[in-house]
Amino acid sequence: MKKAILSSICIATGAMLFFSACTKSNPTPVVTIIQKTDSIKVNFSPVAPYTFFSFKNDALVANSDSASTKWDFGLRFTTFILNSHNYGPGNAGAILQNTIYSTATAAPATGYAYDTASSQKAIKDGSWYDYNIATHAFVPKAGQTFFFRTADNFYVKMELLAVDYEAFVGPTPTRLIYRFRYTYQTDGSLSF
Amino acid sequence: MQKNNRLFIITVLLSLAQLNAVAQKRFNDTTTIKEVVVTATRTEKSIGDIPVPVQVISKKFIQQTGSQKLIDILQQQTGLVLADNPLGTALIGYPNPFGSGIQLQGLDPAYTLILLDGEPLTGRNAGILNLGRVAVGNIQQIEIVKGPATSLYGSDALAGVINIITDKPKTGAAGIQIHRASNNTWGFTANSTIKTKRTALQLFANRYSSSGYDLDKTIYGNTADPYRNYSFAAKFIFDINARTQWQTSARYFTQKQFNNYLVYTSATPEIVDGSTVETDWSFRNQLQHRFSAKTNLIARLYATGYTDNADVFMQKDGSLYDHSFLHQSLLKPEVQVEIGSKPNKQLIAGIGYNNETINSSRYASEKKLNAYYVYAQKEWLPLQNLNITLGARFDKQNLYTAQFNPKLAMAWKPTHDLTLIGSIGTGFKTPDFRQQFLSFSNSLIGYTLLGANELNNGLIKLQQQGQIDPSINLAPYLIDHTLSPEKSVGTNIGFRYHVGNNTEISSSVFRNDINNLIDRYNLPFTKINNQAIYSYVNVNRVYTQGLDFSITQKFAQQFTVHAGYQYLDAKDKDVMENLKSGKIVKRDPVTFQSSYVTRKDYGGLFNRSKHTANLQLSYSNKQHWFNSSIRAVYRGRFGYSDINGDNILDDNREYADGFVLLNASAGINFRNGIGIQTGSENILNHIDKVKLPNLSGRTYFINLTIDLKQLKQKNHEKSNP
Repeated sequence: MKKAILSSICIATGAMLFFSACTKSNPTPVVTIIQKTDSIKVNFSPVAPYTFFSFKNDALVANSDSASTKWDFGLRFTTFILNSHNYGPGNAGAILQNTIYSTATAAPATGYAYDTASSQKAIKDGSWYDYNIATHAFVPKAGQTFFFRTADNFYVKMELLAVDYEAFVGPTPTRLIYRFRYTYQTDGSLSF
Repeated sequence: MQKNNRLFIITVLLSLAQLNAVAQKRFNDTTTIKEVVVTATRTEKSIGDIPVPVQVISKKFIQQTGSQKLIDILQQQTGLVLADNPLGTALIGYPNPFGSGIQLQGLDPAYTLILLDGEPLTGRNAGILNLGRVAVGNIQQIEIVKGPATSLYGSDALAGVINIITDKPKTGAAGIQIHRASNNTWGFTANSTIKTKRTALQLFANRYSSSGYDLDKTIYGNTADPYRNYSFAAKFIFDINARTQWQTSARYFTQKQFNNYLVYTSATPEIVDGSTVETDWSFRNQLQHRFSAKTNLIARLYATGYTDNADVFMQKDGSLYDHSFLHQSLLKPEVQVEIGSKPNKQLIAGIGYNNETINSSRYASEKKLNAYYVYAQKEWLPLQNLNITLGARFDKQNLYTAQFNPKLAMAWKPTHDLTLIGSIGTGFKTPDFRQQFLSFSNSLIGYTLLGANELNNGLIKLQQQGQIDPSINLAPYLIDHTLSPEKSVGTNIGFRYHVGNNTEISSSVFRNDINNLIDRYNLPFTKINNQAIYSYVNVNRVYTQGLDFSITQKFAQQFTVHAGYQYLDAKDKDVMENLKSGKIVKRDPVTFQSSYVTRKDYGGLFNRSKHTANLQLSYSNKQHWFNSSIRAVYRGRFGYSDINGDNILDDNREYADGFVLLNASAGINFRNGIGIQTGSENILNHIDKVKLPNLSGRTYFINLTIDLKQLKQKNHEKSNP
C-alpha cells in the first residue's frame, strides 16, 4: 500500500516536471544524440596493430590515419589508447565510472584522463574486466560506464557488453570481438 | 506468533527441569549408545557422551553399499555434500582437474581435515585431497566431527574432521574380495591377521583399476581417464607388558592414470599421451604406557610423503610435451598425556612438532615449513548429568603469527534418552602453498600469478627481465605481503535422542563465521604486454549457517529406515553489505540491460545447495545371511557460475539443477563364509556432462567375498562331524 502511494506521488511530480519543462523548451525538440550498438574485432596480441574507432562515423578507421584526429580510441588485446598526448594529435580523454549506463544523463565536465606515457594510460588495463583464469574469459564488469571526450571535443557514454574470442584454429586465439553500445551527443553538450 | 514461541520455550524448559530432577548417573551408563569414537575428544568415548555433533559410518554400512570408493560412501551421509573444487568448475565440459571433495557445513573441502587413524594425510591439489587414495576394504569406521576441531587438531579443521579408522586385528581374521563393476572396473582385496598372545600383525592389500568413462563423445579423449592403483597396509601391535603397548603401521599407495588428449601446438591439433603417477606413503609409530590407573602416556612419531608426477609426450615423435610434479613430506613427533581414571573427568595434554617440506613445478624452489604446538583439554562433571569440556591449542608456525584456538563444549543428559549438546570454538587454516609460493606465468594470455610470499622477488625479477616497464616504481609494493591464516568461529547446538534401541534422532543447528578468507587480486599496474599480475590477499568474510536432522528407525529387527536433511545458508558478508548500499550491478547476458542487484536476488556462495537430503532403507533377515538396501541422496540446486558480470549468484540461469542419486544393493552370505553381493549406483542415470563431469552414469557391480576363517571352520566341521 505504502509503495503504491509513493509511486503515485512520483508520477505526479514527474508529470509536473514534464509539463513545466515543456512550457520552457522548444515544442519541436531537435534530436541531437546518436545511439549505436557495435561489435569490433581486435587483435589478440600485445604487439599487433591497434584497431581504431570513430564514434562520430560509427566506423573503424584505417591504421594509415593513426596520426589524424579521425579516430577516438584504439584497442588491441585488452588495452585502450586515446587520440591525444602520447598516441595522437586529438583531444580525447576518458573517465571510467561506476554508473549504470542507462541512468547516466550527463558526461562529467572535468576529470578526463589521458595517456601521458605508454605505461600511464587513461584506461588502466584490468580495471574494466574480470579475468577468469580457468576459461580465459575477459568479462566486462557490470555497472561501469566509460565517458569519452572525442578527439574533436564531443561527448560520448559507452558500455562494454561482452568480449568474446573469435573462433580460431591452433594454439593461440587471433582476435577478440568487443561488443559495446554508446551514445554520442552531436551538439557538443554534456547531456545525453 | 512470538507469544507461542515463548510459551513453547517455557514448556520445554519446564519439562527439562522435571527431567533433570529425576536424572541420575547419565554418563557412561549402560543404556547409552555403545558406539565408541575417538576423534571428538582424542580419547575413546561413547558417542552418547560427546558434546559436539558427531556421525559414525560403520563397517556394516560400508559393506552394505558394496562400494570401493570412499567419496561415494561419504556423500550418502547427512550434511556431507560432494562438491567440485571451485577452482576447476569454470572449465565447462571438462573434468575438474582439481577433483572433488566433501563440503561440510557449507565450507569448501579444503576446510575439513582428513585423518587416517588420527594422523593427517598430505598432498592436497589446490586444497582438495584425492579421497581415491584411501582404500575402503580395511576401514573399521569413519568418524565425522562437525564444527571446528582446531582446539585439538590445529589447522584446516574449520568445518570439522573426517577420521578414517582402520581395522583392529582380530584373531585369525582373513579374507579376500573380488569386485567387478561397470567401466571395466576391477577390485581385488586381501587381508590377513596373525595373532599371538602378545603380538598381532595385520596385512592388507588392494588393487583397483578402471577404464574411466566418457560423457561427451564429441570431445576427443575421456571425461575420466583410465587408472589403476595399489594399496598396501600393515599394522603391528605388541603388548610389551600389561601396561605398555607398541603399535606400528605402514601404508603405501600408488596410482597410475593414463592420460591421452589433444593439444594445439600448431594449426592442427596433436595427440599427446602420458601418465600421472601419485604415490602416498605413511609410517606411524605409537608407544603407549600406563604409569598408573590415572596416568597414561602416548608417544607418537608419524612420517608421511606424497608425490605426484605427470609426464605427457607428443604421440607422433615421443618428445616431452609437459612435465609437472608435486612433492610433499611431513614428519610429526607428538606426545600426549591423559590424566584421570574417569573418562568424563579427564585431562588430556599434548605437545608436538610438524616439519613439512614441499616442492612443485610451479614453485620457485623447495619450501620448508615447521610448526610446534601444544594442546590441552579438560573435562568436568559439575553435575552427574552435565559434562563440560574446555580445550585449547596453541600453534606457532615459522611463517605466521602464533594461533590460539579455544573451544568450550557441554553435554547435558536430562534423561537416559536425551543428550543436549552445545559448543563454541575457533578454527584456523593456514594459507595453502599455492597462495604463498606459486610462481606462474601463463604462456597463452601472458598474465603472471604470484603467491604472496613470492610477490616481491617475482616483481623485481619481472622488472629485471624487462617484463615490467622500468618507469614503474615498485618500491611501494615491495612490502611484507605475508598472508594471515583464515579464521573462524563456529557454534553448534543440538540434541541426540533415542527411544529404546529402535529409534534414534539427532539434530543440530550450526553457524560458522569465517574472516580473513584469501582471494585473488590484481596489482594496479600491468606487465609490458599489458597483462595483469595477480597475487593473493586476506580479504573476504563469509558465514555459513544451517540445520541438520537425522532419524533412524528400526522395525522388527529386520528393517531400518534412515532419513537425513540439511538446510544451508551460506553468504559473503561483504557482498551483503554492498547489496545493502546498492553497489552491485548485473548485466543481463541476453538483453544487455544493466540494473542493481537486490538483496532478495542474492543466492549466496556458489556451489552450495540450500537443501540436501538422504533416505536409506535396509533389510537384513533374522539370520543375517541376506541383506539389501536402497539409498537415495538428494542434492538441491546449487550456484554454478556467474553469467551476468557481477561475480555473484543472483540469477536463475546461474544454477545447476538439483538431482537425486539412487543406489541399491543386495547380498547373500553363505554359512561357509562365501558371500555374493550385487548392486547398482546412480540408477536414475543422472548425467550432466557440463556441470557434473565427475559423475559417471549408471554403473553396476558384483562382489564376491570369501571369509577364509569361516571357510576353514566349516571345512573342519565337515571333516570332523
